[in-house]
Amino acid sequence: MRRSGLASFLLWIGLTLLTLLPVWWMLVVSMRPRVKLYSKSVLIDAVYWDNFLAVLNSATFLRYLWNSMLVATSNAALVCALGLLAAFGLSRYRISGGDNVFFWLITNRMAPPAVFLLPLFLLFTKWFVFGDAMLFDTKIGLILLYCVFNLPFAIWLLKGMLDGIPLELDEAARVDGATTAQVLSNVILPLARPGLAVTFILTWIFAWNEYLFAATLTSSANARTVTTALAEYVSVTGTNWGEMAAMAFLTTLPALIVLGFVQKHIVAGLTFGALKG
Amino acid sequence: MRRSNIGWLFLAPATLILFVVGFIPFLYILYVGFFDWNSNAVDPTLRWAGLQNYRNLVFDATFLNSLARTLVFAFIVVVSELLLGYVLARALMADRLWGRQFFRTIHTLPIVVAPIAVGATWRLLCVPGFGIIPYYLKLWFGIDYNISTNAYHAFGTAIVMDLWHWTPFVTLSLMAGLTALPKEPLEQAQIDGGNKLQIFWYVIVPMLKPVLLTTVFIRLMDALRSVDEVWMLTKGGPAEATRFIGLHIWINVFPKTDYGYGAAMSLLTLYVTIVLSWLLFVAMTGRKGGAQ
Amino acid sequence: MGGFQPEQSERDGFLPIRTNGFDRGFISVVILILVHLLWMRFLEGLLPLWVATVLCLALAVFIIRKG
Repeated sequence: MRRSGLASFLLWIGLTLLTLLPVWWMLVVSMRPRVKLYSKSVLIDAVYWDNFLAVLNSATFLRYLWNSMLVATSNAALVCALGLLAAFGLSRYRISGGDNVFFWLITNRMAPPAVFLLPLFLLFTKWFVFGDAMLFDTKIGLILLYCVFNLPFAIWLLKGMLDGIPLELDEAARVDGATTAQVLSNVILPLARPGLAVTFILTWIFAWNEYLFAATLTSSANARTVTTALAEYVSVTGTNWGEMAAMAFLTTLPALIVLGFVQKHIVAGLTFGALKG
Repeated sequence: MRRSNIGWLFLAPATLILFVVGFIPFLYILYVGFFDWNSNAVDPTLRWAGLQNYRNLVFDATFLNSLARTLVFAFIVVVSELLLGYVLARALMADRLWGRQFFRTIHTLPIVVAPIAVGATWRLLCVPGFGIIPYYLKLWFGIDYNISTNAYHAFGTAIVMDLWHWTPFVTLSLMAGLTALPKEPLEQAQIDGGNKLQIFWYVIVPMLKPVLLTTVFIRLMDALRSVDEVWMLTKGGPAEATRFIGLHIWINVFPKTDYGYGAAMSLLTLYVTIVLSWLLFVAMTGRKGGAQ
Repeated sequence: MGGFQPEQSERDGFLPIRTNGFDRGFISVVILILVHLLWMRFLEGLLPLWVATVLCLALAVFIIRKG
């Protein structure tokens, strides 16, 4: 066992380097001045921030960054709130056909986005129009849309958490005369807080990372997000690799920051609880 | 458990939103698919076309090739990720490992990186004349590697990129599955003198089956719909070498504004996806006929 | 997978899996679409499409009754 332990350790290290290489290369390129761009060394030769500064000084990019923040945060908050309510309903009440509803809710996450681009585009530009306002190219449109993949995820995750809170606590509170709303806010909410935090972070990241819907259903700085900024940037200037790398790194940064907190939950989350991470 | 319809009140908001953004769009393309509708045409209104869109679709070689290419891609990545993931999961299962948590965190990294940034990063690695991969392949092995002219290289790179992105997920989920396996049947099989291959095939695989199928299910769905990464890496090129079905729909429908035909393409893609996932789902729930 | 249990109303028929009513309807629709697409590709020059429709509906009734 000891010898295989060493081999396993070395394998881990090799794999880790392989996993880190693309991300590392992105960082290396983002810290190179134009004149040194074509150097093939994989080491950072000097600290050089101009690429990041150039990206962060672009008004358009900042606008996109702000949009992304707003869309991801509102979507995550919305999804957590509605997800908690739905999970409460599914976990605490016996609903006729509840299993089927739950199954249908979950299947929404599996839908291939490319298939729904066209109908959503048409609905957003032609049908969901209220006077002069339409959902196309609005942040609200994106916030609602991201519910398609985030809400099933949140419901599933939170239902698991609520099922873990003993029913006796609810009953005790009800005996003391608490209303359903009070049970939810005084008993469930405090106990579900860690679960809600994980749900919030993960859904926030998924919303932040989304590209296809954002690229199709927005058309201006009104609602475009950082992922579309990155894609636009590549098609506009093909060879400004340093700034492109800086932009890609900034897009990845939030996920890197929270990675440690949610690492345990990601595998379980992505497989809908068939596996514990 | 309280038996009451109040439960529905709690479900209602979530159900309503998913109905509006998830189910109505489906009904809507089902409808549009039967019409000839192009908003840039001389007559930009909906005209009944019956099955004409679908008739054109089954003769559309570009579309069918793209669909076939996607299935080949999905098959290759899912099978190799499963094999690679299993080998790695077994190799990495050492009971006491210093810094285990740290390594696991690093391996979760590719999963959370935005697909669009994954594509951008691999473009930085692979682009001819700039990236380190073509440079070192030429320097060390004398291979002329060029993703913007060679179709096989581009397709291969898309596969490698997907392996980088998702093998860690398969490894982690199989490790979770392996850790949860009961020890007794394994020990019993060893006592009975089964060799490694027999133990693997007759003991581990059946016990691991739910986990394997779930992982395949998730990976297949993701592989069938991958668009962002490949778009950033190659733009679907050279020619159409890496134009997968989602990408094909995306880059065709919107510039051409041929909505009826686009709806037909989307629906046929959805049909293929649903049939594949249903088959896997049936395998997953293990509903065998005949025996009780 | 907690909520994904097969329902009680299943039965064995000539299909290779145990099915409930929804499954049989689903299988019929899948076959109907598949046959129509293939028919349009290969057979429509010889036989009109409604032949496929009639055949598939007959098959669907058979599957739903006996599957």
